[in-house]
Amino acid sequence: MNKVIQLIRKDLVVDWRQQNPITGILLYLTTTIFTSYMAFQGFVSLAVWNALFWIILLFTAINAISKSFIQEERRTHYYFFTCKPAEILSAKLIYSFVYLMSVTILSILIFSILFGNPITNYLLFLSNMALGVLGLSSAFTMVSAIAFRSNNRSIMMAVLGFPIIFPVLILSINNSFQILDGFVWIQIRGNVLALLSVDVIIIALSYILFPFTWKG
Amino acid sequence: MGYLLKTNWWKWACIVILIYTVVAGLLFPVPRLHILNETIRVLHFHVPMWFGMILLFLASVIHAIKYLRSGKSLSDTYSNQLASVGLAFGIWGILSGMLWAKFAWGEYWSNDPKQNGAAISLLIYLAYFVLRRSFQDEEQKKRISAVYNIFAFILMIPLLFILPRLTDSLHPGNGGNPALSIYDSDSNLRMVFYPAVIGWTLLGFWIATISARISLLKQKFDDA
Repeated sequence: MNKVIQLIRKDLVVDWRQQNPITGILLYLTTTIFTSYMAFQGFVSLAVWNALFWIILLFTAINAISKSFIQEERRTHYYFFTCKPAEILSAKLIYSFVYLMSVTILSILIFSILFGNPITNYLLFLSNMALGVLGLSSAFTMVSAIAFRSNNRSIMMAVLGFPIIFPVLILSINNSFQILDGFVWIQIRGNVLALLSVDVIIIALSYILFPFTWKG
Repeated sequence: MGYLLKTNWWKWACIVILIYTVVAGLLFPVPRLHILNETIRVLHFHVPMWFGMILLFLASVIHAIKYLRSGKSLSDTYSNQLASVGLAFGIWGILSGMLWAKFAWGEYWSNDPKQNGAAISLLIYLAYFVLRRSFQDEEQKKRISAVYNIFAFILMIPLLFILPRLTDSLHPGNGGNPALSIYDSDSNLRMVFYPAVIGWTLLGFWIATISARISLLKQKFDDA
């Protein structure tokens, strides 16, 4: 556990010192939202707001999380001797989740300034969003570990990541639209629990399969 | 897979069943149903492709797990060849389905959850083959692609259950459309459909054993 905290702190320090990955992602997010704002001429319906929000989140996530293993190049060997794969994975999963969650909350702020804020049931909207972000961040962390060894990493991230993220994505888009549309907990309970179980499957598979991508 | 490479009886079974499927599938009487009419015969040539595809992918995943456990290059070859035959089945399934849908539903693609699920499973395995080509190191290629194979296949399963929950399907048996169970009085369709599933699946494994043999021979010549 101590090592996990140290690894998270290390990632935090690296990101803080380099700064251009984080500012890059924030600028990417802002520009994409602003471009859609210009493209849609300001006014969008509820369904479009929701779809746009998740699609921009998807592209931001794949760019933000792809760095999680890909930036590790030179430090790889050092980890290999000091930490267990499960510790490295735990640190990466926690860090990616927190990182993507902060980016998402920022994206909601920019969205409400430009497109207006249709959220009424904050608790439900944010919990569904958190589950969606958990799925995105953990699946992309694992895909980043897979793409890390291949030749053209940035293309591989998208090619490998998009097909497997579908269950998380369609469930969260669907739930999120129903929540914005005024559905209550009882009505969407089944789909939210389905999303939670997909997240659990992704994380469990990551713990089983990650050691095989790491060694060698 | 090893057993299938050594034995022959199932190949004869495959030939007999497929001859029966083609003859009976095209000639046996079928129930007259509104809109479907004679196009219902596609049941024997389209639906078994999905059974075949899923079983071939499942066998591919089992060999991927075997490879991760044992590190034997043979399991990787089997896994790769089974996945490629599965992909071919999937492509034939989606093309035959689209052609049928043009006549039965009026358009090639109609946002049907089963169509979408099929398209996503094809994307997953196309990504698998792109991944395999992007490695320089042979050993790494085998291990990482086995990891992706397992990861993607297991995530594909909840997808196939989730998609139909969100939108109704146009496929027979969903959303109030007639399906196999209503022809219980007329069992002609079942008598062809169940053998068809077995026959096409056996054909898929037969092709996979041949391409696995070719691939093993190629490896031998490359080494020599």
